[in-house]
Amino acid sequence: MALRAALIRHLRVPVQTVSPAGRVSQPSVANSLFGSIRFMSSHDDHLSKEDVADRVLSVVKSFPKVDPSKVTPDVHFQSDLGLDSLDNVEILMALEEEFKLEIPDKEADKIDSCKLAIEYIHNHPMAS
Amino acid sequence: MSLASTAAYAARRAAQRERVRILYRRALKDTLNWAVHRHLFYEDADNLRARFEVNRGVEDPDTIDRLIVDGEAQYNKWRHPDPYIVPWAPGGSKFTRNPTPPEGIEIIYNYGREDND
Repeated sequence: MALRAALIRHLRVPVQTVSPAGRVSQPSVANSLFGSIRFMSSHDDHLSKEDVADRVLSVVKSFPKVDPSKVTPDVHFQSDLGLDSLDNVEILMALEEEFKLEIPDKEADKIDSCKLAIEYIHNHPMAS
Repeated sequence: MSLASTAAYAARRAAQRERVRILYRRALKDTLNWAVHRHLFYEDADNLRARFEVNRGVEDPDTIDRLIVDGEAQYNKWRHPDPYIVPWAPGGSKFTRNPTPPEGIEIIYNYGREDND
């Protein structure tokens, strides 16, 4: 009984307090140390533009037909990276899976470059 | 026949390309619905891509139209009956579940305190 209490005390995870206005400072450090921050409502976790850009770039870099050294936030999928329109569709699907989005077909046709993708995802209210 | 007016020809080809892209997108999502495990999905996605690549070099717009119609018929035949839709999207489980309340309405959290207290 005392052993159990000692163990539980040893394994206690520190609780993060979140200010009601916005996110805790240095969220990336917090994420690496304590796991993901828990928000009390589902509308507090608007992603910052750097987060979106980092994740979009990592998705594009891990695409097998893409050379990772050429990927910058301004790159155009078809003209700079030498991809196909079908590859564009595949990248978009990977981005949808990464950010748990559902992009309508007409909008998805127009997203042609990293810059457009980052803008669209950043402005989407349900990106996570 | 369509080679004379190149603007109309280019417009027709562009419309066909858009149809092909939308068809490929829907077919890929459908493949993910059927093959949930990633290793199976990657194989099936490669097969789907190979089927699209076979018809890559076709130039005649009528043949392309026929191929697109065939492809859409095949897609309709293989559609999953219970596709995965993101919950907040139309058709998902959370769609219009809790609409935002109208403006100017406030909830007063007095936890049931009566006026006499």
